[in-house]
Amino acid sequence: MNAVVLPGVAVPRVRGESLWRKAARKFARDRLGMVALAVVLVYLVAAIGVWLGWWAMGWPDLTGTKWEPVSRGHWFGTNIIGQDIFDRAIFSTATAFEVGLIVALVATALGAIIGGFAGFFAGSWIDDVLVWLMGVLDAIPFYLFVAAVAYALTDNPWAMHVAMIATFWVGTGRLIRGEVIKLRGMEYVEAAHSIGVPEVVIIFRHILPNTSHILLVQASVMFVSAIKAEVILSFLGLGIKDGMSWGLMIDESTKEVLAGFYNNFLAASLLMFGLVMAFNAVADALQDALDPRKVG
Amino acid sequence: MEILQYSLRKLLAGLPLIVGVTLVSFALMVYFGPDQTYLLLGKNPTPEQILEVRQQLGYDQPFLQRYLGFLREIVTLDFGDASTGEPVTTLLAKTIPVSLILILPGFILGHVVGLLLALAAAYWRGRWLDKLIMAVAVTGMSVSFLIVIIGFQIVFSSSDGLDLFPVRGWNASSLGSYLTYVTVPTLATMFVALGYETRFYRSIIVEEMSRDHVRTARAFGLPESRIFFRNILKNCLIPIITRIMFSIPQVAIGGALLIESYFGIPGIGKATYEAIITGDQPVLKAVVSLTAILFVLVVVITDILYRAVDPRVTLK
Amino acid sequence: MAPDPQAPVLRVRDLSVEFVTEEGVIRAVDRVSFDVQPNETLGLVGESGCGKTVTGLSILRLIPMPPGRIASGSIELNGQDLVPLPDGEIEDIRGRDISMIFQEPMTALNPVFTIGNQMTDVLCRHRDLTRRQARVVAAELLAKVNIPAPASRLGDYPHQLSGGMRQRVMIAMALSCNPQLLIADEPTTALDVTTQAQVLRQISELQAEFRMAVILVTHDLGVVAETCRRAVVMYCGSIVEAGEVAALFGQPRHPYTAGLLASIPRLRTERLAELPVIPGRVPDLLNLPTGCRFADRCPRVQERCRVERPPLAAAGAPGAAVACHYPL
Repeated sequence: MNAVVLPGVAVPRVRGESLWRKAARKFARDRLGMVALAVVLVYLVAAIGVWLGWWAMGWPDLTGTKWEPVSRGHWFGTNIIGQDIFDRAIFSTATAFEVGLIVALVATALGAIIGGFAGFFAGSWIDDVLVWLMGVLDAIPFYLFVAAVAYALTDNPWAMHVAMIATFWVGTGRLIRGEVIKLRGMEYVEAAHSIGVPEVVIIFRHILPNTSHILLVQASVMFVSAIKAEVILSFLGLGIKDGMSWGLMIDESTKEVLAGFYNNFLAASLLMFGLVMAFNAVADALQDALDPRKVG
Repeated sequence: MEILQYSLRKLLAGLPLIVGVTLVSFALMVYFGPDQTYLLLGKNPTPEQILEVRQQLGYDQPFLQRYLGFLREIVTLDFGDASTGEPVTTLLAKTIPVSLILILPGFILGHVVGLLLALAAAYWRGRWLDKLIMAVAVTGMSVSFLIVIIGFQIVFSSSDGLDLFPVRGWNASSLGSYLTYVTVPTLATMFVALGYETRFYRSIIVEEMSRDHVRTARAFGLPESRIFFRNILKNCLIPIITRIMFSIPQVAIGGALLIESYFGIPGIGKATYEAIITGDQPVLKAVVSLTAILFVLVVVITDILYRAVDPRVTLK
Repeated sequence: MAPDPQAPVLRVRDLSVEFVTEEGVIRAVDRVSFDVQPNETLGLVGESGCGKTVTGLSILRLIPMPPGRIASGSIELNGQDLVPLPDGEIEDIRGRDISMIFQEPMTALNPVFTIGNQMTDVLCRHRDLTRRQARVVAAELLAKVNIPAPASRLGDYPHQLSGGMRQRVMIAMALSCNPQLLIADEPTTALDVTTQAQVLRQISELQAEFRMAVILVTHDLGVVAETCRRAVVMYCGSIVEAGEVAALFGQPRHPYTAGLLASIPRLRTERLAELPVIPGRVPDLLNLPTGCRFADRCPRVQERCRVERPPLAAAGAPGAAVACHYPL
């Protein structure tokens, strides 16, 4: 966590160890990171159970009366129309993973590809156009852009995902572009160029794999951003269309909170906070583990 | 004079960006945006009426022609009337000041307090205070804005909590009522920004602290506090300025949206959001052009500020 | 080392510096002892990572603490031990009694302050001058290091100067308070060859004029041969050989010193391919061998070398010492 670059001391290296092996070793020693990873895995198990239909399938059913307190039958009580809050909160965990994973994976891939092309063709018009595109997307305020995309794709259940992906890739794109410009001058890339390897192959086979540590950290950051954005978009009515999510639960709870019933709000907020917090910690630990400059 | 010339050149260089922002916004918000035909005509319109309204709104024209019309109206500042019948300029004049005084206190406090916490964390880095501040920052980053708003409302405004401030609404007619209405939104904005700002500022300060010239200053006996507050801080100004300047357009136009919708405050964010939902073209035109111009202005002003704090930057 | 009749300016005894890392404790400097006499230039030589820079930095306590720490030993300036000194007092000594200049003149100066500003900061810190007076002194100092039009240079920023000029500004700053000792950490490594020679000559001339001692930290044996009277050779955190440069280079006793000398390219050497290199690599500071640290690379290694670490012991010429069981 507290990284210091030592003056004039050669960083000790275990012979022939790859960046990833070393990172895994460092990560394993990061106690906070490991605890956070365990928490994320617990959430993941909850989500997998939902996907396999093992539990929380009764989330839309009216199994009780209005605002029942915590009981053996309803672990978190029931909501305003008598649905089980625990089932809804667990089902929402799966939704959060779906949103987070889809957005993080697609946006990272898009950022890598566009950033890779921009960086490789830096100085040509291809790069100019791509950089212009990134600038334009940066200039439009995020929530207005998302609202516009959501309405342009009216009633499409993927509108929210598309909107997030369309803006989230920009940050990764810029990072990868910078990294590729740096890598482009490396000897092995020039060597590949000189023996006539096609440019597309150079980008995808030789350059992008060397940015994978950046991509992993970016994906973990975007996972968190997507889950947080979902809550706000669902509240604005731009989010999840069918199904259940923490955002919809919080939206639902705003009326209940005014009446002094907090179960719905607390269940969704605390579960979401736990996952986001744990994932933030994992992302931090990953970043530390993958930074080759850091010692100690 | 030099600065004026430079600014003009920069503005010119910003033209593609303005074109891009208006193009993307037009395509998303107007071309593919909601159809207003039925909203304007009410129930059971005749086919002739529909055709007429569609012609009026320009829905029958091709994309490029409509976009050029959109641009022309922006350039001539001819925004027309909002769907409420009110001139757009009046709407903006009414809503923008509300958003500004709503969001400004939280924005400023978020950056100032974030910077102060970051300074403390960086100065005592590795000690318990640093660890505490950074732990709180990560915790703050992990709470959703919406949860903060609702939570703060429960704590400060509900009968179960302190019950000190109004739950929602807006009244800035006097300083007293302004303060009662602005406090909870300000605290929420600040709380949400704080985690991110603190982490960001700490990381740039710590990076500056590891530079060779800091070691040089130390090697010549300059006191630690002077090195920290004078030498290091001046070197941090570029990222600090960048951070603050580029968050201005976001905050000024989009940032207030959630607060305004939740607290029922009539600001520009809420007005824009409603315009997007209803397809209110005149309002969208005005907001989009404002966004683009603000962004380019920010770029120009930021560059001029760079030159003021870093001698290596020249206005070429 | 043999006792010297003259009182040394700096007396380092059993200095050990450690860094605490996640991987374990790295002992970057291991029980190093040496003296620096008034007016002399002492070379501190070794490959990168051998602990020479850390030694130089720890004299002024400039290593980051934590993770660094001075594990043991004393550093006496005119008989006063600097190690237990409170922070405020070591700050007074930095730049006044002991100055230090660094390898990278590009980054060692603060890019957003003028040369004059940075020089007057140092002058006002240690000498009772107004800023106006300090600027006059700063201009005089710049003139001393042969910077043309010194008064107008004070308003320049570091990026407006060449690398050699910047290093001279650093030297001028180091001379601000007429220090007794100058620690020069690879002062010429980042410069091109002609500038290197100029800067080195400058340091030698000013040393005579200001009557100060110099510790020249370098990996360049050629530089040591030209400028130093005595030198200390370090390997893996400890001193392997010390002595007068003439004797040290003419008749090295430690196989490592001999190897270093043999691997310098000379005009006499006919072909580069014949240039001998020291085989193997520097051991991992985390997993140091129990015996002699050079054992794995040594052509004269014996069984004893692998189990018993040779102490630094007086050998050969007066003032010379070597840490080897079987010296050449």
